[in-house]
Amino acid sequence: METIIQVQNLSKSYKADKVLDIEALDIPKGQSFGLVGNNGAGKTTFFSLLLDLIKPTTGQIENKGVEVSQSEDWKPFTSSFIDESFLIGYLTAEEYFYFIGDLRNTSKSEVDELLAEFEDFFHGEILNQKKYLRDLSKGNQKKAGIVAALIGNPEVVILDEPFANLDPTTQIRLKKIIKELSSQKHVTVLVSSHDLMHVTEVCERVVVLDKGRIVKDIYTSEATLKELELYFER
Amino acid sequence: MTTKQFLSLEWKQFRRSSFFEKGLAIKILMFLGALYFASLAILAGAGIFFLFKKAVPNQDPFILINNYLIYWVLGDLALRYFMQQLPVMNIKPMLLLPVKRQSVIQFLLLKTSFSFFNILPLLFFIPLVIVLMVQGYNPVMVLLWFAGILSISFSINFLNFILNKNTAVFVVVIALLASFIGLKYFGVFDISPYTGVFFLSFYNLGFTVLVPLALVLFLFKANYRLLRSNFYVDGAVQAKKEKFKNYNLEFLNRFGTLATFLKNDVKMITRNARPKQVLLISFFFLFYGLFFFTQDIYKEMPVVIAFAGVFVTGGFLMTFGQLVPSWDSEYYKLMMSQNVSYRQYLESKWLLMAIGCAVSFILSTPYIYFGWEIYVMIAAGASFNIGLNSFITLYGGALNRVPIELNQKAKAFSNTQGFNPTQLLISLPKILGPMIIFYIPYKLINFNAGIIALALSGLLGLVFKSYFLKLIENLYQKNKYKTISAFSEKK
Repeated sequence: METIIQVQNLSKSYKADKVLDIEALDIPKGQSFGLVGNNGAGKTTFFSLLLDLIKPTTGQIENKGVEVSQSEDWKPFTSSFIDESFLIGYLTAEEYFYFIGDLRNTSKSEVDELLAEFEDFFHGEILNQKKYLRDLSKGNQKKAGIVAALIGNPEVVILDEPFANLDPTTQIRLKKIIKELSSQKHVTVLVSSHDLMHVTEVCERVVVLDKGRIVKDIYTSEATLKELELYFER
Repeated sequence: MTTKQFLSLEWKQFRRSSFFEKGLAIKILMFLGALYFASLAILAGAGIFFLFKKAVPNQDPFILINNYLIYWVLGDLALRYFMQQLPVMNIKPMLLLPVKRQSVIQFLLLKTSFSFFNILPLLFFIPLVIVLMVQGYNPVMVLLWFAGILSISFSINFLNFILNKNTAVFVVVIALLASFIGLKYFGVFDISPYTGVFFLSFYNLGFTVLVPLALVLFLFKANYRLLRSNFYVDGAVQAKKEKFKNYNLEFLNRFGTLATFLKNDVKMITRNARPKQVLLISFFFLFYGLFFFTQDIYKEMPVVIAFAGVFVTGGFLMTFGQLVPSWDSEYYKLMMSQNVSYRQYLESKWLLMAIGCAVSFILSTPYIYFGWEIYVMIAAGASFNIGLNSFITLYGGALNRVPIELNQKAKAFSNTQGFNPTQLLISLPKILGPMIIFYIPYKLINFNAGIIALALSGLLGLVFKSYFLKLIENLYQKNKYKTISAFSEKK
């Protein structure tokens, strides 16, 4: 299958401290890719490098053939939600969605169409609230951020800890959304999580990071959850 | 928990703030800046007595000083309303610890005593007190007077925190201030001798000092009660939730692709505390010309008029512009990973600044009262602002990298943006530029030539707009990672 994300000799160090060191990693188009690891394993660092928010110490990442630290041409087909700093606190959810839509050349009606699909997911707590995003609860902020990351038909979607802070119903709905994205729309979805169960359920492939290095690279099967649990029990 | 422990927490917060992690050069410059303000206050304090003595030789300068104190009181109150932050501390972690609420609140209130706004009057009044003693005023009574003044200063401090929740009272204060000055200016009525008698009585009678002392105590208690009754996670500790306001901004769509950002910026300005503050400050810039245009001495110095003319319309442009891109610091990662072109982003900010300048120009129409020459100068200044100053300001802003908490008022003088060496360098062309552009043709040819040169400089800037924007864009690109990491630093 066609590779969309290609990582070569990537490392990130803060002074002498090497926080990420990935020799090679290829992610094929349309794959749902899970990243797990304990705190400080380098998950967010990897995503930040992928979004060119921090500068790699060595190596490079190519996103659909574009070297992310050299050109900005990856931006039109890539979208992400990492944390609340991706939200504009003084906008309402709708205003935020339309703003992102504007940036991604998506008309208001197209955004509305997309939002309609997520009515279930929002559970009536996001739209028409007359509340600014900064005044929503953490969980609801996350819902808005995740859906905003799906506006404009992105080919690569990056979600950091999407399951954290969500209520059980929303978690189940989110899992369905992610699965559909990769299986029906051939969107490459990169997800990180602390929850082994969610990741194995959603992702075709799970990579385990430990102290910045890839220690496991598994295509999920029935046995994967057991294997991961055993690994983390050490 | 003891006061000592609180103090050590505060000290750590202070020591470990990003402000100390700056380079040595900035530290020195900031130190010099602080020194500058301090010495200015000290000099004024030491000099005011002699200044009054010289200006009005046949009257006791001390009486005159007392007469003018009322303006200090009202002015200080107005200034603090805008600039002084409410006492905030990380109360949340304290709520769960075995600490008496009483001691937290008391500490919180006492902490405000060390604000810049309380130290500055000290620096002014202490030299004055020394001068008074040397000049042969009764030292004991002078000290009593000083105690009275100090109490008033602290009363203003505590009063401000109560007022801050109440705009109506503030409007009254401003109205009082304006009407006192106005009535005095037009010679109708002068309040200052009446209030002066009261202030002077601290010296003459002594016991009247009890009035301000009682006032401080009362206001301290009032503040204490206010905080005590709101000391819950959903009370005083929590940021105020604002009611949702919506406006129809469709008319901005005429700006095409820039409309996206413009609409967002308008919402940003109207829905957050910090930019609202900037909006107010830039409104005050409009009155800047009054200092100069009312004085006859400056009529002979058109360079000064040129300088003032630029400032009248440049308020918003400069105060808003110097904090681009800091305004978007809270969600800068989004902007950097989204499909945003720097060019459009910058151009929309520039457009907003230009609109701000144009609005200021329209509002400055009453200056025609001072003569067409002055009004034409303001127009030329506006042209300079839009065509050149805007780009200089944006360039400076790109070097700024101070994260902004949008919904928090600025702490006066605690942010470093003014004392950044590059900022200082950048401000030179802003101030000297228009003066030089005006002065050379003025000297060589005549007044009109100076004005035309100033106006043309702005038009020329517009011709090179693309080039300037490209220059700033390159700066953004070059500093991308630095800016992202500076903006994601938590305060």
